[in-house]
Amino acid sequence: MIKSITQAFAASLVLGVAAGTASADAILVTTKGPGAGNPFWAAVEAGATAKAAELGVEIVILAPASESDVARQIAIIEDQMAKGLAGLVVAPTDPNALGPIIDQVKAEGIPVVFIDTLGINEGVTYIGTDNQVGAAIAAKYLCDNVEAGSDVAILQGIITQSTGKARADGSREGMAACGLNIVAEQTGEWDRAKGMTVMENIITGNPNIKGVFASNDNMALGAAEALKNANMLQDVVLVGFDANPDAAESILAGDMSATVAQNPYNMGALGVESVVKLGKGESLPAVIDTGTILVTSENAEEFK
Amino acid sequence: MTDSDSSDAGDRTTGKRLDVVALLDRYGIVIVIAVLGLLIYASQPDVFFTWRNITNILNQNSVHAILAIGMFMVILTAGIDLSVGSVLALSMMCLAVLSASMPWPVTLVIGPLVGSVAGFVNGVGITKLKMPHPFIMTLGMLFAARGLANIVSGGVPYSGLPDPVRFLGSARIPLGEWGGGMQSLPVVVVFVVALYIGFHIVFEHTVFGRRLYSIGGNPQAARVSGIDVDRHLIIVYTICGFMAGLAGLVMAGRTNSGFPNAGMGIELEAIAAVIIGGASFFGGRGTLIGVFGGVLVMGLINNGLNLNNVSVFYQQVLIGIIIVVAVSVDVFRRNVSTRK
Repeated sequence: MIKSITQAFAASLVLGVAAGTASADAILVTTKGPGAGNPFWAAVEAGATAKAAELGVEIVILAPASESDVARQIAIIEDQMAKGLAGLVVAPTDPNALGPIIDQVKAEGIPVVFIDTLGINEGVTYIGTDNQVGAAIAAKYLCDNVEAGSDVAILQGIITQSTGKARADGSREGMAACGLNIVAEQTGEWDRAKGMTVMENIITGNPNIKGVFASNDNMALGAAEALKNANMLQDVVLVGFDANPDAAESILAGDMSATVAQNPYNMGALGVESVVKLGKGESLPAVIDTGTILVTSENAEEFK
Repeated sequence: MTDSDSSDAGDRTTGKRLDVVALLDRYGIVIVIAVLGLLIYASQPDVFFTWRNITNILNQNSVHAILAIGMFMVILTAGIDLSVGSVLALSMMCLAVLSASMPWPVTLVIGPLVGSVAGFVNGVGITKLKMPHPFIMTLGMLFAARGLANIVSGGVPYSGLPDPVRFLGSARIPLGEWGGGMQSLPVVVVFVVALYIGFHIVFEHTVFGRRLYSIGGNPQAARVSGIDVDRHLIIVYTICGFMAGLAGLVMAGRTNSGFPNAGMGIELEAIAAVIIGGASFFGGRGTLIGVFGGVLVMGLINNGLNLNNVSVFYQQVLIGIIIVVAVSVDVFRRNVSTRK
């Protein structure tokens, strides 16, 4: 039995090599994590799916299990290239490490764009949020709602990533310019639990904090818990970033004060539309800003 | 399995039932690979057996394959090394940081060197500090090496390595034009095959290899028979660290960068490959060829599901099931052997 299976295996190997490649090429959309695990990526997927249906192109959506699984994202791209790709829309888990494979994609003439996070490859259009502008919007809200000269803190994301750095820079510049006193800048690594721990540590050393900018909503929600436990939440203006549904609920409940909405749906839709354009030989601008808006109790209902 | 497994040599003569068990033990992994291959082939006949896809699978799993050699060696001695992912990252960051200021030959050796040092520290900790289990020492190293990787680099990814450093992870041997395009063979695939042949000889045909089996099978007996167990364990963990460093060099070459998050959780994938490949977690039993099969099984699952556009969550579920099934086969086999 084993022998016959081995023979069948060998026979199919020969047949398979002889058959060669021929299949309908699709556009691969690969984000940093599955939509099922994160509403942000789910919105990217929804935008990409809707645009693909509108344009009548086929797309494949695949992502590594977590953002740190860089090798898996590379493998997904390689495997799909072996199958044949009409285009690639990629949110790079690590822009540097994805460099060589994106170069290979370009070398094979496959249209490619970055969404959400800027890559290192030259000549590849970036479609996403101008995070520095978004963080500046958040900083302006804090400037308008916190008395000048007050102590404020920044919860940074992972600042080795362009997104984390841009949000840290944008908020720092904005708050420093209007005379707020930045007493702490620490990383919560985008994580809710870590955001809470870091906030606890910050308020232990700086009990007069009046404003906090958290570089994403997860950390802002963690910080809200820490401030609530310390009985400080009512005196602190807490602003997040991303406008995820939990944050919208928190704003409506009066815990968080504001957040900044990106437009992940647009990233997915414009990503697909752009590679289709590239495939037709059209050219794209280097950056396509998908926009940011401030979300407060006035408009939070739309983001629930 | 082979002459190293002398205690089971009698199985084959003690009845029909044991024959099946011995057969499963010996060829189980081949059957699993064949079934997986056929399933993927049936679903993607135009793609799966193309040269490009096959080399993709081997290339993508080269890092796992290298780590699995070290991990098998450690598990053979009834140990475990949880630190290989972090040591991989530390080696990778050291070489990436140094590549900016040092000549390339230094950069080339620094990764495996750093890995060996970390492995040596593991080995000394386990034997001389009398840790209750290698789990503890290597768990400590998992955290320490990951932290050091971030300290060395300041948490920042480094990109742009010299070509000789990238050679192992990214170079390809051109094979000319056939099967619908220019074909090539990744250098790392040749390298991995050579490593497996070399270490197969070490495990099966050297005194050192045979001693590892006896240390894992019964450390007391090994000690009594005059084997310096501690010295062997230190060598084993140093080799495991060296392999992690080598894997770091390959991953750095493949991605043309060093990133501090590299190899997160990969130690568990390496352990899974060794276990799926039929090595006993109790030590003393398993073959390197089986381990290579275990690496291929994991690689085939990922490839097959990627080609069929299936979410990564299903890949995790499938690998989980296969680990449990592989170990239950092992347990079943042991029970049958002891009942005779």
